Amino acid sequence: MEIIALTFNGQKVTCPSGTSLLQAAEQNGIKIPTLCYHPDLKPHGACRVCLVEDEKTGRLMASCVTPAAQDMSILTDTPRVLNHRKNIVRLMMAEHPESCIVCSKGNRCELRKIAANLGVGESGLYPMPNYTPFEQLNPFITRDLSKCILCGKCIRADHELVVTGAIEYNHRGFHSRPATLYEKPLEDSICTFCGTCVSICPTGALSVKNTRYVGTPEKETNSICGFCGAGCSLTMGVGGEKIVEVNPSKRKISVNGATLCMRGHFANDFINSSDRLIRPMIRPLTETKDEDSNDSHIEILWEDAFDSIASRMSAIKREHGPQSIAFIGSSKCSNEENYLFQKIARGIFETPNVINGGYAFGQKLLSYIDEKTHGTCRVAPLADLEDADVIITLCSEPEQTVPVAGYHIKRAAKKGSTLIVVDPVKTDLVMLSSLWIRPIPSPPADISIAELISALAKELIKGNFQDQQFIDQHTLGFNPFNDSLTDLDPAKAAAHSNVSAESLSRAVELIKDKKIAFVMGADILHYPEGDQLVDAVLNLCFLTGSLGTKGAGIFIPLPENNIMGAMDMGMVPDLLPGRIKIESETDQGIDLGAFIESVEAGQIKAAYIMGENLSRALPQSLRVASALKNLEFMVVQDIVNNKTAQMADVILPGAAVYEKSGSFTNMEGRIQTFEPVVPPPGDAKADWEILAHIAKAMGHPEQYQTIGKIRQEIRRVVPMYQGLGNHHQDWIKNSNSNNPLSGGKTKFLFSPHRASGDRQAEGAYPFVARISSVRYHLGSGTRTSRSERIRVYARKGEIEISPADCRDLGLNGSGLVRVKSEFGTLEREFKQNNRLPGGHILIPMAVNNNDAMNLVGLTGNEQSDSYGWTLSRVSLEKI
Amino acid sequence: MDPKEIDWNKLESIIEAHRTQDWSLIPLLQEVQEAFGYIPPESIEPIAESLNMQPAQVQGVITFYAGFSLKPKGKCVLKVCRGTACHVKGSRSILRHVKNELELEEGETSEDYQFTLETVACLGACFLAPTMMVNREYFGKLNPTKVSSVLGQYSKNKEDEG
Ligand code: SF4
Ligand code: SF4
Ligand code: SF4
Ligand code: FES
Ligand code: FES
Repeated sequence: MEIIALTFNGQKVTCPSGTSLLQAAEQNGIKIPTLCYHPDLKPHGACRVCLVEDEKTGRLMASCVTPAAQDMSILTDTPRVLNHRKNIVRLMMAEHPESCIVCSKGNRCELRKIAANLGVGESGLYPMPNYTPFEQLNPFITRDLSKCILCGKCIRADHELVVTGAIEYNHRGFHSRPATLYEKPLEDSICTFCGTCVSICPTGALSVKNTRYVGTPEKETNSICGFCGAGCSLTMGVGGEKIVEVNPSKRKISVNGATLCMRGHFANDFINSSDRLIRPMIRPLTETKDEDSNDSHIEILWEDAFDSIASRMSAIKREHGPQSIAFIGSSKCSNEENYLFQKIARGIFETPNVINGGYAFGQKLLSYIDEKTHGTCRVAPLADLEDADVIITLCSEPEQTVPVAGYHIKRAAKKGSTLIVVDPVKTDLVMLSSLWIRPIPSPPADISIAELISALAKELIKGNFQDQQFIDQHTLGFNPFNDSLTDLDPAKAAAHSNVSAESLSRAVELIKDKKIAFVMGADILHYPEGDQLVDAVLNLCFLTGSLGTKGAGIFIPLPENNIMGAMDMGMVPDLLPGRIKIESETDQGIDLGAFIESVEAGQIKAAYIMGENLSRALPQSLRVASALKNLEFMVVQDIVNNKTAQMADVILPGAAVYEKSGSFTNMEGRIQTFEPVVPPPGDAKADWEILAHIAKAMGHPEQYQTIGKIRQEIRRVVPMYQGLGNHHQDWIKNSNSNNPLSGGKTKFLFSPHRASGDRQAEGAYPFVARISSVRYHLGSGTRTSRSERIRVYARKGEIEISPADCRDLGLNGSGLVRVKSEFGTLEREFKQNNRLPGGHILIPMAVNNNDAMNLVGLTGNEQSDSYGWTLSRVSLEKI
Repeated sequence: MDPKEIDWNKLESIIEAHRTQDWSLIPLLQEVQEAFGYIPPESIEPIAESLNMQPAQVQGVITFYAGFSLKPKGKCVLKVCRGTACHVKGSRSILRHVKNELELEEGETSEDYQFTLETVACLGACFLAPTMMVNREYFGKLNPTKVSSVLGQYSKNKEDEG
């Protein structure tokens, strides 16, 4: 790269060629004001506030769009430059309404800041405010476009960063404004309410809507979003011990840059909910257990709560043995908390029954893939996707589950990566894809994506497009795998799923000799053919040598913030901290389904549940609730009052992410620490502190008075986390010495292809219900349903039905439908969804107490007549 | 014909003809505008889908160019010049006269879709000021009587047809 030299105000500087004058100035500490420039967006040159003067020619130019050239001599603050800047700002002010003084953007308004710096008070020009109606019917964003200065940042953020395309300039000249299609309000457009445009808008044209007066932020603190597995870096504005504003942080390195999603931006107001637990409580022994007997709990002192837990649980252990106790941790709690929790379980109570809610939603898949790839995919930075040759997404709708992962995929596709979408649903990604493979077997039978993937493998081998060098060097079992494909007829496999032969050959064309990044939905293991599917993907991965290169490998958008960390800390039945496999099955604990069964059978007598609302999150809520009543003793440690807590013997009020210190590990393997932004409400305590007290009450010799103490121990016990706490972020270390790519002795092992069964949909339940996450809720919705904004948004979670099925069932307009499965019934409103294929319906999770989970069975995933927790066979009728 | 009723088949054949072409948005819009006299708002989404664009972007392009319109226009589109030269020569009263005669405000279209009234900044025929255009024909050195006769001519045409 060529280095060029120039001067700014006489000061000599150098920069690589291609740098803009603005960047060159900034890199050398010279300040130039800007309004339409943003480092993550393509320069636009709209506002002209960044004017500078070329000393030699006397030309004035916008520094953000002018490349630096050799020997330029630039002046940034001559009277002439300042005068022009002033006039530009005066013109903007003349077009600005007077409501400026009471603007909700307040001191964050960049126009006001620049005007003040330039000494522009009154514009002194004839005011020509451009009145446009105020829009604020949705609970998230207020639009007052009379304050718009047409910098285009919102539009560029919407197109370049989140790739939604909800808004675009409309009209020309003075009337030009960012607008949605048909100039409808945002809530009637395709806007996802990610709020990225709000944070980036330099004026009060776009601002956050608050449902009531919350005050202005007095200070700002960085934190990490506690919702999904992206782990976005946030800056929280605090006013009077309350979080009043959330924006993407300005940290240089983060997964999200200038973006966020609806949840991170707007749903964190849940922490101010009146349902927060604020004091430890106990149920008097005389009271019966009932979900609705909330009032029967009485407040106690923390000390008494700790003593009561220690003595009751020790007694149960003495009487019934350690196996009679279970510890349910949480994929939402921190690494430190999960580490300590499993240590209390395994070390003090000596029980193997250690589990968390994320086990069913991703951890099982993660640990299987980790094992098969010998740790190669542990660190999977989403930014690498932009370097991917080919991205294949498999039944993964990251735009809903992990929106920031979705942005990365869309940006990569826009930048030129080939995107292949394999999904029966026409997701938002389809528009940007080079190929959409839509497997819809007809008559509706189970989807056989595994067959399709294996068919692809066979075609690749036929054309000799496999990465033979990688196969020879790093893998075992290629020949048996190849043999197992003999009976597979690619044409038939495609036809079975109603995929055209052309699609298949086009896919081969697109992926041959390329490295592939696979993005797999975290719930894929719940598919009837889950195991086969994952093996088929791994085989294709080995076959194409798609491991160990940047932008290749397997990416799993994890639906909750610390699914990875909870697993790494050993909060799972089959792994010790550091992903050390518990080899003997008899030493392993049980999964959540088996936990409920053991409680029903009276084998488990006591449970300590931290941060999981089981009777909302698990299938068959009534069954779960009545099982939990069976327990002799139950502790619930949580932040909001919920159904599970109401049945507990002891309730302990924990702290939300933003009220404590800790660390999370996101879906990429990025470990991020965080510090408290506000104090916990009432007597609530950080969860790690509560656990430290429990350990002490049980007489454990080690005292954990600080989070540093826990981290120290983790660093020692878990080599993958040797950097924990040193910086605010770090990556998991690949400590797997077996990894063939880093000189280990083992090899990647192909699995023979197994034909999947050809199960036809049954007569009584002819539809496939997809129980799906939606972007306005997280998981079962325990927290998001406490967000006032999400509550006002009040999505009914309509059941979505394809146009063809609507026609067949005589459903038009709106109304109620009844959905029945083997396990339960659900009645909800419906709406038509053009993106679904016939025979498939979509039921949003989390709404209405998460009743969608009643359609699936808690246990028996392996039975042939039942799906897992995310798909269900159902019948559908109009009411 | 009621211009509000869209001939979907015609629209679809125009879209299909451009589907696989790159950079075809503007030519496509021109063809739609030509065929329908305007770009039916309902066509934005199918057009966007065929070109793999977001509908809001297509709308942005339509509203940027004066040559495209999202509203059906009358058979005769009147453009009264309000440029400087014409202004000096009294185009304000010409415009007032036209408004009275047609009972239309600027930007409006008559209910029978015979007339649309628009103003422009300069027709480039200042030597004939005050001027106006009807469809592609220029009329200069206007006065109220001349305006009435021009308008009469265009409404008579309509009766002849009818
Ligand atoms: S709304 Fe804000 S970000 Fe968008 S163009 Fe206007 S001033 Fe810029
Ligand atoms: S909130 Fe997000 S999706 Fe909506 S317009 Fe702004 S950037 Fe686009
Ligand atoms: S929910 Fe996920 S994508 Fe959204 S802001 Fe939080 S971490 Fe980021
Ligand atoms: S910042 Fe350079 S033109 Fe706006
Ligand atoms: S001002 Fe009317 S034609 Fe030029």
